[in-house]
Amino acid sequence: MSDSTADTATPARPTPVDPRLLEILVCPVTKTELTYDRDAGELISRKAGLAYPIRDGIPIMLPDEARKLED
Amino acid sequence: MRPAPIVRTCQDVQDPIIFDRRAVRLHRDRAAATVGSVHDILDEAAERLLDRLDDVNRSFGRALDIGGRGVVAARLRARGIETVSIDLSHSMVSRSDAMRVVADEEWLPFGPGSFDLVVASLSLHWVNDLPGALVQIRHAMRPDGLFLASMPVLPTLGVLRGALLEAEVDLCGGVSPRISPFPELRDCASLLQRAGFALPVADADTVMLAYREPLALLRDLRAAGETNAVALRRRTTPPRDLVPQALHRLGDRRPHQTVLRMAMMTGWSPSPDQPKPLKPGQFTVPLAEAIGDRSEALLRDGQPD
Repeated sequence: MSDSTADTATPARPTPVDPRLLEILVCPVTKTELTYDRDAGELISRKAGLAYPIRDGIPIMLPDEARKLED
Repeated sequence: MRPAPIVRTCQDVQDPIIFDRRAVRLHRDRAAATVGSVHDILDEAAERLLDRLDDVNRSFGRALDIGGRGVVAARLRARGIETVSIDLSHSMVSRSDAMRVVADEEWLPFGPGSFDLVVASLSLHWVNDLPGALVQIRHAMRPDGLFLASMPVLPTLGVLRGALLEAEVDLCGGVSPRISPFPELRDCASLLQRAGFALPVADADTVMLAYREPLALLRDLRAAGETNAVALRRRTTPPRDLVPQALHRLGDRRPHQTVLRMAMMTGWSPSPDQPKPLKPGQFTVPLAEAIGDRSEALLRDGQPD
């Protein structure tokens, strides 16, 4: 059986978000500022306790799609 | 076990859920692959809306394109305006060549003063809380920014709506909503005003569409992602004869004519430099003088002796 080396290889860095977008994006729930976690590819809203994913460099700013942060 | 009774609270009455936003998103996901086939209609509607920019003697720094399906962003960028496109659907927003964000108009993710132009071409008619969405849009704008939107209004798809209703009554003895409840033109300007936009205007523009057969209209609606997302829609498959019967009612007239009537809405985010109506007591000309002798005659004749 062939081993799946592709799966174990280090994942490619997520496509970065346009810095001009980072200037204007806020958390859609609390309208407060976001922290950009470049390595995880997430925009984090501490106040709402949500992490918004980024897919292909496109931030997914939907509360339903966000990951809940454990505190 | 008996099913739990449905409890309706005041909240339900205050915030009616008219549209199923998950369904809207799913329809737009699916339509991303097919929306090219209705490009001509969307592009015509977008151009008619953006024509208004040519009447405005100023330039814009950064625009927000809400649900423009790739068509609006291309036209804004052709005018040299930096553009951010948003859509509920990742695949639909990917059609835009501008900066892109997946976002919900009901949960707008932009800080105050982010844009000086916001364009929503045929994209706000599946929003539940339209006044709330408009307020959020205004907050994301700089003072004296321009908001341009087009929405389908009645009698858009009126003939189709009627035919579907009649066919469903015949087949099922009752009806369920199958077409979005569009607003009337007269509601649109007051919506802008309620949301705090200055100098709100809504006027109508009409695109006549001619189809070789009525079924082609249904195909186009599907291709554009405009299939039914009314929350109270019947979730079961419609009776097999519904669409054939409705189409039969639309008759054999070819081409099949249908009207896309749009409310073209413009409003400005308030700024101290804008012209404003005077407050009561600030007027310097008496009303009688302004409207002249005719009014005096009218008053006199209108009063019983």
